[in-house]
Amino acid sequence: MWLKFRASSVKEFLLLLRDRAGLAMLFVMPMALILIMTLLQDSTFKVLEEKRMTVLVLNHDADTFGINIVDGLKQSPVFDVVEQLEGKPFDEEQLKQQVMDGNFSIGIVIRENASRALRNKIKLGIQEQFPVEEGPIFDMDSTDAADTAKVRLYFDPITKSVFRQNIISALRRFSAAVEAKMLFSVYAELFYDLLDIQLKPTGKLQNLVVFEQEYASTAENRIVPNAVQHNVPAWTVFAMFFMVIPLAGNLIKERQSGVAMRLKTMPGSAQAVIFGKGTVYFVVGILQAVFMLMIGFYVLPLFGMYSLRLDNITLPALILIIMATSLAATGYGIVIGTIATSQEQSSIFGSISVVILAALGGVWVPTFMMPEFMLTVSKLSPLNWGLNGFYDIFLRNARVPEVMPYALSLLVFFVLCLLVSRFYIRFKESFL
Amino acid sequence: MDKEAFIRIKGLTKRYKNTVEPAVDGLDLNINKGEIFGLLGPNGAGKTTTLSILCNQIPATSGKVVISGLLLKTHNRELKKIIGVVPQEIALFEKLTAYENLRFFGNMYGLRGSELKSRILDCMRYFGLEGKADKKIETFSGGMKRRVNLIAGILHKPEVLFLDEPTVGIDVQSKTVIVDFLKQLNKEGATILYTSHHMDEAEHLCTHIAIIDKGKIITNGKPAELIKSEENCDTLEDIFLKLTGRKLRD
Repeated sequence: MWLKFRASSVKEFLLLLRDRAGLAMLFVMPMALILIMTLLQDSTFKVLEEKRMTVLVLNHDADTFGINIVDGLKQSPVFDVVEQLEGKPFDEEQLKQQVMDGNFSIGIVIRENASRALRNKIKLGIQEQFPVEEGPIFDMDSTDAADTAKVRLYFDPITKSVFRQNIISALRRFSAAVEAKMLFSVYAELFYDLLDIQLKPTGKLQNLVVFEQEYASTAENRIVPNAVQHNVPAWTVFAMFFMVIPLAGNLIKERQSGVAMRLKTMPGSAQAVIFGKGTVYFVVGILQAVFMLMIGFYVLPLFGMYSLRLDNITLPALILIIMATSLAATGYGIVIGTIATSQEQSSIFGSISVVILAALGGVWVPTFMMPEFMLTVSKLSPLNWGLNGFYDIFLRNARVPEVMPYALSLLVFFVLCLLVSRFYIRFKESFL
Repeated sequence: MDKEAFIRIKGLTKRYKNTVEPAVDGLDLNINKGEIFGLLGPNGAGKTTTLSILCNQIPATSGKVVISGLLLKTHNRELKKIIGVVPQEIALFEKLTAYENLRFFGNMYGLRGSELKSRILDCMRYFGLEGKADKKIETFSGGMKRRVNLIAGILHKPEVLFLDEPTVGIDVQSKTVIVDFLKQLNKEGATILYTSHHMDEAEHLCTHIAIIDKGKIITNGKPAELIKSEENCDTLEDIFLKLTGRKLRD
């Protein structure tokens, strides 16, 4: 048995070594994927963070609110403010046209008397805090009270909802600062009228709360998530499952050439051959994972990206999840190679099914962004188990017990694949 | 049934699922030890199916096969060790060299080390393939591939050799060396069962011949006796056409 197993492994190894397309699919394509996807994602984040946005502003309120909002936009690192078109002032219709034509992503119109309306709203609010018997403390009529400070926003129709929400959120921040400033100013006015005390404006009443951001991890094992830390494990799992194509293709080739039938006539060969074949691809899966991690560690920094952090990971957990993922991928290749009737069928079905399983598993889009239903479906993808195992190791410092459920799921998947292949062969043989 | 026969086939039937007519229909045949037995028949006659059952590739629907005193159904493990099979297809790995292919198949028969190496090189030399051991199969001509295909089935010196059209589609030189080798192997004691479309080749090579059609043996005997037994027949091909007709087969 050992002799046959060894012969089969050597044969499989030589076949794989001489299959340039297969080798490229197993090692070069995933390397390119890791490089391209990580670079792309990294630069997308940088663009979002660093790119300034030009906004067209029409301020009809030459008072506190209007002036402060425009100043806020001008001082923001995100916005470039345009208040004139070709050196000339413009009206709201022109602004709308400019945005509609796609010349600007956003147009902001601050309505006339917005400051007065805001000030009246504040006064009305303060008035309501005093007992009715005190009578009116500010000079205001009913039309003043009904007035509302308005800012109209025009968006280019192609802008995404996330972008719109970001703009509105920024404007709300500026607006809240102006509102606080005006509230302080009305109170100061009131203090002076009622108590004859002159309050001095202060900047110390801004940004009173400090937000500290930190990724949840233990102090000694702090791993900062980034495009590298996310992409390398994701594409490693994807690449490992792509072994389906050469493995299944190889099985079909053996069937079509008559080698499989010849082996059936030889003593105890079928099991030894499939065992040897599986072992080679299992080892290839492990080599792929090591290769991808090395790309993350050594090559990505050459392109100006972070290096994959390997210093704080639990090695036994990583070895376990790599082996389990490789076994699952091998099993999947065997089942595809058993069921498919031609190499074309196996390569098309194999590649598309891996892409679908990868999409479901969260390789392309993180699972947390998926709707509830898809989230449930994603748990059925073996790529999801492998990926979650890798993420837990690379981002949460998981140890063997934590990744064991994923490893066991992958192992069960491998056994299921072998059983399905076995039953399918028996089913097919029943037609002979 | 002749109890002395080395291969005894009794009532062998093979009916593929979803087909009306059986591919092999109650076939009875005895092959003695040391014979070169030719199983001849037109396309779809049941030759390859019979051979596939004998070498354990597909199961029979009914019937009994005994080889060397061992019942095929229950002793296939033991029988696989004494059987050699040369399929009609070139069942080799195109990307491996001739030597790597033969080493692999030799290992599958339990051969190893220097014994296997010398056996491979001897066979390759005999078949005019010396100096080609390290060349990939994909670079070989049709005749060379067929010769390697044959070597892969005889490396373990089988007692019984099943060959399915071993000389199909090759030149006269390759055909001659294969036929000579089979004669030599037979002299050394191997029993050979082979199928062919080449009537003249079978006539000169085989010690015994059976013509099969529609899954049944329609005649069976020594080539010379068969030719004598039929009127107006001077060759095996005449008998073949007389018994199986001139209608084209698919």
